[in-house]
Amino acid sequence: MRIELRVNGDDYRREVEPDLTLLHFLRDVLGLTGTKWGCLTGDCGACTVLVDGEPVVSCLQLACQVRDREVTTVEGLETADGLDEVQAAFVSNGAAQCGFCTPGMIVAVEALLRSNPSPTEAQVRESLSGNLCRCTGYNKIVDAALQAARARLLATDIA
Amino acid sequence: MVDVFVPDTLDEAVGFLGHHAGAAIPIAGGTDVLVDTRTGRSAPEWLVDLSSLPGLGGVELDGEVLRLGALTRIRAVELDPELQRRAVALVEAAKVLGSVQIRTMATVGGNLCHGTPSAEMPPALLVHDAVAEIVGLGGRRSIPLAELFAGPGRTTLGPDELLTSLRARVRASSAGSCYLRQTVRWSMDLAGVGVAASVEVEGTTVTSARVALAAVAPVPLLVGSATETVVGTDLPSEVADEAGRQAAAACSPISDARGTADYRREVVSVLVPRALRIAWLRATGAWPEGVPAPVNGVWTEEDL
Ligand code: FES
Ligand code: FES
Repeated sequence: MRIELRVNGDDYRREVEPDLTLLHFLRDVLGLTGTKWGCLTGDCGACTVLVDGEPVVSCLQLACQVRDREVTTVEGLETADGLDEVQAAFVSNGAAQCGFCTPGMIVAVEALLRSNPSPTEAQVRESLSGNLCRCTGYNKIVDAALQAARARLLATDIA
Repeated sequence: MVDVFVPDTLDEAVGFLGHHAGAAIPIAGGTDVLVDTRTGRSAPEWLVDLSSLPGLGGVELDGEVLRLGALTRIRAVELDPELQRRAVALVEAAKVLGSVQIRTMATVGGNLCHGTPSAEMPPALLVHDAVAEIVGLGGRRSIPLAELFAGPGRTTLGPDELLTSLRARVRASSAGSCYLRQTVRWSMDLAGVGVAASVEVEGTTVTSARVALAAVAPVPLLVGSATETVVGTDLPSEVADEAGRQAAAACSPISDARGTADYRREVVSVLVPRALRIAWLRATGAWPEGVPAPVNGVWTEEDL
């Protein structure tokens, strides 16, 4: 099946198996291995990406269903100046241990901040409820999300 | 390997499904279908991708009638400001389904047509008197939503038929509804018991009411007897409790990993009166707009 889609700002045209998931398309066809393969059943959130700005689990999305749409993965968040606010806050808060959940967490926080620039802690926890972490106990991830929100608000204020 | 057919029109989708009866199943959000094909629960030769068919999404209000396209995402229901006022049970049910990611993908039609007895949308739509609009090779037909469900994982739709939209009754005033759920985890979990209630009032007197249950029978259940008990009263707690006992008697739960049959029946008898009371408080205006029902339905004056 022939699909056309945009990933992290670049246009791709590829021939794919009809039942190929977006997750496998990103990892195996495009070599974008930041997006992680956890459960393949929608439960862990490690494969979270944005499709047209909305967070989805890419393991339950067929690549052919995202034809003509725009996908953003964790690799697409970096700015010209380096890490974006969410990525930087994960680093400075020590919000990753093994790091396997981190790309999904970062993309989920990114999705939240785009629709709600100053979330409460409860809203952060709610929006991360589909992302499992086996290491951190979540608190540092929540701290990172709240700090990223403050940093981004500050950056937009200055700009 | 599964092949995917992408129809351009509804007619084409219905034609393909009819022609490949038994071998083709529709896919929209994919959050149930792809889990089923991966775990071997279903093994279709074809998936018919409905996700980009025009005209099947959207939330429209015409007076008291809500029209909900089958492809409407659960997340869109959750965030719709008009539904937050007029169909609170539906919004509360949407809010607890899966995760943000799952709700962004999953559709109302998919949640209904997958036929899961514990699904969130069925009870919430049943208490809003929903009617299912269906299209197939034989044309269009409409049925009360309760008639869509045939058993666990089964609907009454023919192999060529598709649910296109729902019509539901959502009054703007003197009406309230509520959805409560018992689960072990909160997110990414299925209901052990789901309870939806709706109430219409004149002053403080109940003129009409509905109670519907999830996960306590082979199909989502509308409990008629509970309705009759509360109509004509101001819903004092004895009456609400009696409706709860009737709902518990009407259901037929099984014992599984989420709870024993006896436990589930007990939970029904507790959650039904709580859901009815909150729906009534909302209908009479005593419950502040925008305040969600606490997860277990227990509240104090301070919460309001
Ligand atoms: S791999 Fe997609 S949710 Fe776990
Ligand atoms: S850091 Fe290891 S799973 Fe989250």
